[in-house]
Amino acid sequence: MQGHLSAWLVKHGLIHRSLGFDYQGIETLQIKPGDWHSIAVILYVYGYNYLRSQCAYDVAPGGLLASVYHLTRIEYGVDQPEEVCIKVFASRRDPRIPSVFWVWKSVDFQERESYDMLGISYDNHPRLKRILMPESWIGWPLRKDYIAPNFYEIQDAH
Amino acid sequence: MAAALSSMASMVGWKATNRTETFTSRRRYNNGFSVRGQQQVQESTSLQQEEVKEDKPVKKGATEPRPVEPQTNVESKNMGREYGGQWLSSTTRHVRIFAAYIDPETCAFDQTQMDKLTLILDPTDEFVWTTETCTMVYSYFQELVDHYEGAPLTEYTLRLIGSDIEHYIRKLLYEGKIQYNMNARVLNFSMGKPRIGFNYNEYQLEDVNQ
Repeated sequence: MQGHLSAWLVKHGLIHRSLGFDYQGIETLQIKPGDWHSIAVILYVYGYNYLRSQCAYDVAPGGLLASVYHLTRIEYGVDQPEEVCIKVFASRRDPRIPSVFWVWKSVDFQERESYDMLGISYDNHPRLKRILMPESWIGWPLRKDYIAPNFYEIQDAH
Repeated sequence: MAAALSSMASMVGWKATNRTETFTSRRRYNNGFSVRGQQQVQESTSLQQEEVKEDKPVKKGATEPRPVEPQTNVESKNMGREYGGQWLSSTTRHVRIFAAYIDPETCAFDQTQMDKLTLILDPTDEFVWTTETCTMVYSYFQELVDHYEGAPLTEYTLRLIGSDIEHYIRKLLYEGKIQYNMNARVLNFSMGKPRIGFNYNEYQLEDVNQ
């Protein structure tokens, strides 16, 4: 069960791991954080010129953090563009993933949001700071071990 | 904001007309803290003797509020755009905490004195306050400020303190120490509708340590 892109990467000796296909039949690959920046450049040169979305999630309590990239190859006259989904896993202790801001500029706010919610620090991101929470916030709200502070909210009124 | 919170606190003023209390805490300085602290305690007791004398029946073990002396000729400072045009605060309905000195009479907002925390208690006048219950809230505020001493002076810390005071006010309400002010301008019972035969202790979860 190997997709087209995975075979192409194997042919060029690029390390990755195939995670199968999602429900739409889009190939999913896992790439190590250390290799991610160079492979991102290679994928851009290969033709994936459009970053459809970037998101991040916490895999399991105490487990890894994942950063997910959906790439699309936009060309003229194509109604079924090539797509691929890349997952990069980072350890919870020191989550560092190279930023792909300098490859796909549109990842700017998405990576900032991933940093804000999950604390993944993207290396070489130009302005990596909190985007949704106040800048003095402590903790990463979407991690599974996050404990929300007992703030008094207006919703307490009933 | 590399400043740190501190432990000296003090009541600055008391406006009996609209139940707005201002309350200030002062950062501990490394040099000459003890001397300054003693001076302040003496001054504050001399200034507010009638209040402090009345509040002796506060439960034992509560932290005594340590007010700073009221200042004269306070002017609003550092509120312009060149200073950012904003202030460090935690504002909820009953608790407004500002990292500044606020004059209780003129409401001048002196943001150069960020070593003080000012608490404005229940400005919308939702509850009926007595001197005793006010002092309970003040001493709890003092206790929290002592507890958070050394923490970074950020909105997050102020919000932690303000939320704890709000929860404390709700606890006072549930225990029947304070009541809703039926003449309040907005009467929406923001901490729960009044109930008959309600016992607060039945709704408390047992503490793990007990």
